[in-house]
Amino acid sequence: MEMIIGGAYQGKAAYGKKAYPEILWKNGAELSREELFKTEGVLNFHEFIRKEMKAGRDTEDLAPELIQRNPEVILVSDEVGYGVVPIDAFDRAYRERVGRICTELASYSKKVVRVVCGIGTVIKND
Amino acid sequence: MVILVTGGSGSGKSAFAENCVVSLGEQKRIYIATMYPYDEESRKRVARHRKMRAGKGFETVECYTGLSRAEASEGCTVLLECMSNLVANEIFQEEGAGEHALEEIKKGILGLKNRAANLVIVTNEIFSEAAVYQGEMKTYLECLGKINQFLAEEADQVVEVVYGIPVYHKS
Repeated sequence: MEMIIGGAYQGKAAYGKKAYPEILWKNGAELSREELFKTEGVLNFHEFIRKEMKAGRDTEDLAPELIQRNPEVILVSDEVGYGVVPIDAFDRAYRERVGRICTELASYSKKVVRVVCGIGTVIKND
Repeated sequence: MVILVTGGSGSGKSAFAENCVVSLGEQKRIYIATMYPYDEESRKRVARHRKMRAGKGFETVECYTGLSRAEASEGCTVLLECMSNLVANEIFQEEGAGEHALEEIKKGILGLKNRAANLVIVTNEIFSEAAVYQGEMKTYLECLGKINQFLAEEADQVVEVVYGIPVYHKS
């Protein structure tokens, strides 16, 4: 597993596609949970989490299940935890959940790249 | 040793900071808790943190305002969590220092730095978003930003935790 993370509009998807031109990339916002487990490259992984939470589905076991069923996946995700605590309860829960899930996945990932202004910095490389 | 641990929400800052304290040695461990349990959500957060700390030998000291009065004995290791809550309490609570929040917190930190063998402070990166804030919220953000800069100057190490991965800005 590998993660490409960073703020919105930083060129994370372009970075991922350039690093892995051979794999099929899909948009997390449009994937079902089953499809997620069969996808090589996921863009907007945070949007997948939001979609599941909006639909009222449990995301508690998402990280372990993804690790088990799709251990080679490349995930591109926004970092969403760098703003003021949101007023809306759903937004607060979503922000927290993206953090918890990505922290668990980053711990398993062999490599984590953080992209700022299109420039990737490797922050983990086991 | 003074270590400043920062990062976004849900990034694994607390777990990292607790591990820091444990690896610093066997001194008495004091946890200065700053989150005021004002509703169900915050009570759940407090409970989650208590569970994480259990078995690590921390004595918990609650300090919602007035950091300079917090009890921490000579030579102990202090984990202060979280600066963003302490600043909010000082600015928004009735008992808080209000417009003197910055000086009050600086005084408290310098006192702790003097007494404790080690001081680990958890703060928060809440400064990167599109929304523009006015009034009290603006005052709060400005104050926390200034305190973070002050803490970074006082610290031997400044580490940003990104999804559990430490990124060192000062070491």
